[in-house]
Amino acid sequence: MARVVILGAGVSGHTAALFLKRRLGRNHEVVMVSPNSNWNWIPSNIWVGVGKMSPDKVVFPLAPIYRRKKIVFRQANAVALRPNGDADSPRGAVDVVYTDPKRAGKTERIRYDYLINATGPRLNFEATPGLGPDAGHTVSVCTPSHAVDAAKHLATVIETLKTGRRQTLVIGVGHGTCTCEGAAFEYAFNVEHELRAAGVRERAEVIYLTNEHELGDFGVGGMTFSQGDHRITSEAWMESLFRERKMKAITQAAVTKIEPGLIHYRQIDGTDNAQPFDFAMLLPPFRGVNLEAFDRDGTDITDSIFAPSGFMRVDANYEAKPFDQWTAQDWPRTYQTPLHHNVFGIGIAFAPPHAISRPYATPDGVLVAPAPPRTGMPSGSMGKAVAMTISDMILHGSPEPTHTASMGEMAAACIASTGTGMLSGTAAAMSMSPIVPDHSRHPDTAGRDPQETTGDIGLAAHWVKRMLHTLFIYKAKAYPLWYLIPE
Amino acid sequence: MDNAQARIDMAPLPGMRELRRRSNLVQQFVRFLSLNWTMYRLAKHHG
Ligand SMILES: Cc1cc2nc3c(=O)[nH]c(=O)nc-3n(C[C@H](O)[C@H](O)[C@H](O)COP(=O)(O)OP(=O)(O)OC[C@H]3O[C@@H](n4cnc5c(N)ncnc54)[C@H](O)[C@@H]3O)c2cc1C
Repeated sequence: MARVVILGAGVSGHTAALFLKRRLGRNHEVVMVSPNSNWNWIPSNIWVGVGKMSPDKVVFPLAPIYRRKKIVFRQANAVALRPNGDADSPRGAVDVVYTDPKRAGKTERIRYDYLINATGPRLNFEATPGLGPDAGHTVSVCTPSHAVDAAKHLATVIETLKTGRRQTLVIGVGHGTCTCEGAAFEYAFNVEHELRAAGVRERAEVIYLTNEHELGDFGVGGMTFSQGDHRITSEAWMESLFRERKMKAITQAAVTKIEPGLIHYRQIDGTDNAQPFDFAMLLPPFRGVNLEAFDRDGTDITDSIFAPSGFMRVDANYEAKPFDQWTAQDWPRTYQTPLHHNVFGIGIAFAPPHAISRPYATPDGVLVAPAPPRTGMPSGSMGKAVAMTISDMILHGSPEPTHTASMGEMAAACIASTGTGMLSGTAAAMSMSPIVPDHSRHPDTAGRDPQETTGDIGLAAHWVKRMLHTLFIYKAKAYPLWYLIPE
Repeated sequence: MDNAQARIDMAPLPGMRELRRRSNLVQQFVRFLSLNWTMYRLAKHHG
């Protein structure tokens, strides 16, 4: 009997667990290690953050699903990997610290035959002084509890606006190397939508503050959409949307410090600026989750397994080279780690080989460089591909990975909500193929397939976003025929 | 130089026809079907 241990029950890890169990059946063991008792559909947190969805709609308990699917669930944090085993055994192991109330703080060493690291990001609020809801002065929508807190602050701002006072709302990213600009964009437009619905829009200034070089970059170098027979850049598309909704924007900015009511940021040209605010939602930069790694004799081998960012090195080309020499082929295909062929890193947890958007820095070296997003669709596809590979290795003895899911080949669809409501909602539906531009395959169209790189705004896209919420929660709950729903 | 705000101020606004299209229930229902089909195809083709 083989044991596959998965670290992290998020989009990628949970997908991998369900597909593994479906293929491996009763003869092999699938173990999920994850610190939270609940699963969270993160994309809908933005609606919780404007008070339009209750937090219980975006989470559900994992234990009953895993019990039904015969997946072993350990509610714990992984803290260290021992890919070559320890003094007792050469079998790989992972050290965990329990977080469930009954065993909180207890530790265990879990042996594995195959390991998937799907631990996602550590929300690195500490990277910017004053950032974040716990020790700082800004709110966040990264977790359901953050989003509930954001909604409360927003409600207070709306009440203040109703008294006739003006308010400034700043929404964006809180560091020069942030990713997930799409989520910040969505939240900004949802807030704007709610201000209008509350009848207080005229007294509010809504500012989108971003590290993107231009609007519509989204950390993927922007897109050029086909719309019928004409083509439009995501930059022009977004500028028009910002004007239509009377939103302001500050781009090319690295937030350096936040004081109560004041955001300090530096721009690429080296200028230092300060933006006052009454309400600020700034996303944090991401890091890997601080896993360590040790050899059999206890030697620290963390640096050989993880990049300095804390993300796991996989089958990517990590050679340092100038931006113009980076290619789609540098991106990983199988997510197998080069040193340990039974260890895989997927979703946000794998170390990207390079940025997708051109990175910039201020004259004194402060990076203004959006990190590449690893959104839900590719994260789920990676989970499935690695689950298929590992089950082929276990069931058929395949010596090499049998499935791939490269961001240099995969397409992604992204529905960015710009306001909720079954009749009044809107969203921007964007698709791009591939995610990482491949200039060798599409030399004349900025590295992407013009037929599959499209953008459209309207009510229909909102319906799709709302439907995806229901569909993906259905799938994550592993209800009948869940596996027919594509990633 | 960050000229985003200047570009926003100059950006074309959608016309009445486009605004109507974005909220017209019939057109949006057709669009809903086509968006679903596009996404399904992308996911199946590339997933
Ligand atoms: C506000 C917001 C909105 C977003 N909106 C969209 C959207 O509209 N569309 C889209 O495609 N993407 C969206 N994303 C991105 C999407 O959420 C990510 O792509 C996706 O969650 C990545 O999946 P993952 O499995 O890599 O990480 P996650 O889903 O974050 O899962 C990581 C898991 O690992 C667990 N974990 C952490 N540390 C440990 C440890 N030490 N040991 C074990 N487990 C651990 C975590 O608790 C979590 O369960 C959004 C992100 C944010 C923050």
